[in-house]
Amino acid sequence: MTRLVPTGEMTLGPFFPREFAQGANDLTSVDGKPAPGERIEITGRVTQADGRALDNVVLEIWQAGADGRYDNPDFFGWGRAATDAGGIYLFKTVRPQGAQGRRAHVNFLVLYSGLMRQLQTVMFFEESDDPVLSSVEKSRRHLLVAKKAGPHAYRFDIRLRGDGETPFFDD
Amino acid sequence: MDYAIERRAPRTQSQGVEPGYAHTAQRWPAQPLARRPHTAAELSGPAGLSRRLAPARGDLAGYGDKRAIGQLILVRARVVDEDGAPVPGAVVEVWHCNAAGKYIHPNDSNDAPADPNFYGAARVTAGDGGLVQLRTIKPGAYPVPDSGGWWRPPHIHFSVWGRVWLSRLVTQMFFQDEPLNEHDAILNAIREPEARSRCIARLAPTSTGPADALVYDYQLVVRGRRAAPAMP
Repeated sequence: MTRLVPTGEMTLGPFFPREFAQGANDLTSVDGKPAPGERIEITGRVTQADGRALDNVVLEIWQAGADGRYDNPDFFGWGRAATDAGGIYLFKTVRPQGAQGRRAHVNFLVLYSGLMRQLQTVMFFEESDDPVLSSVEKSRRHLLVAKKAGPHAYRFDIRLRGDGETPFFDD
Repeated sequence: MDYAIERRAPRTQSQGVEPGYAHTAQRWPAQPLARRPHTAAELSGPAGLSRRLAPARGDLAGYGDKRAIGQLILVRARVVDEDGAPVPGAVVEVWHCNAAGKYIHPNDSNDAPADPNFYGAARVTAGDGGLVQLRTIKPGAYPVPDSGGWWRPPHIHFSVWGRVWLSRLVTQMFFQDEPLNEHDAILNAIREPEARSRCIARLAPTSTGPADALVYDYQLVVRGRRAAPAMP
């Protein structure tokens, strides 16, 4: 069978509808039922090369639940948030568990005006021997580890380019 | 795991830094992107996305005295995978500006009129054949501020979920025979002519569609081959 070429990605542009960007950043319940596991908040600031914080960046996440599964009927591991004028985003979720050779992590996708393709990165809770974390050069791995910001809060800043640039993946 | 997402030919995808588009040099990473092994985390995806993203409008054109101003069009977009197999149930978000080139968005500073009957955002789910039908009006062209004369050609934004996390596709659909297509920094960031041409919707014969609308056919190819794997 002939293989079709995946459609070329293009930038999200500056006018992604506000109503689409809002209202999907809380993963702590499904259909009104609370998800099992430790509730956590993940927040961070998204900046560009000159250090400027970016407004209305769209971030999507995909993660396992507290049992390490992606198809837990009581947890839906997808969410979307947008940054505010200060470049800050917020997800409310549950702490994932590692499984099948992976350590606990949250997949991130970044969409924005001036980003011609989606950027993929991953947030970890600690430096470890995770195979995806190990595929990043050693001196930059710490940039993928969230900082503890409270008993149930984590800080994961995303620097698109420049000093302390977040490692991104090409798939 | 026998499900796999294969690498893409770079020339079929947008370049990261585009000279004609100043923001790209501030935002695309300077460091090379890392390659990673694909595990269940990348090769699973959010089935049942409508639990978190409710459907919103399927018709942007309206009817009668609530009809949006502009050329009525029907976009027939099919979501398929790399085998050409339809992806029924794919969630598709669509947004575009009105016939005068104005978005319903607080960040749009373009001095063009809003249309009270046009709200340019829809979220729909692909049917059995992977088909999404969008009844709307043809968007206008508009100038990009402070860009030295860059005008965006008429285009429709698409955001699509395929079967797994790595199938996610965000792109723009263009219209056949628009002179501004030749110079657009976003369309031409795709270097391979054939790949670029596939981002341009074709006008279907006018005898085939509804009497009052021009029909454009389009195909959205999301990454991945074969049926979705069972989730771990």
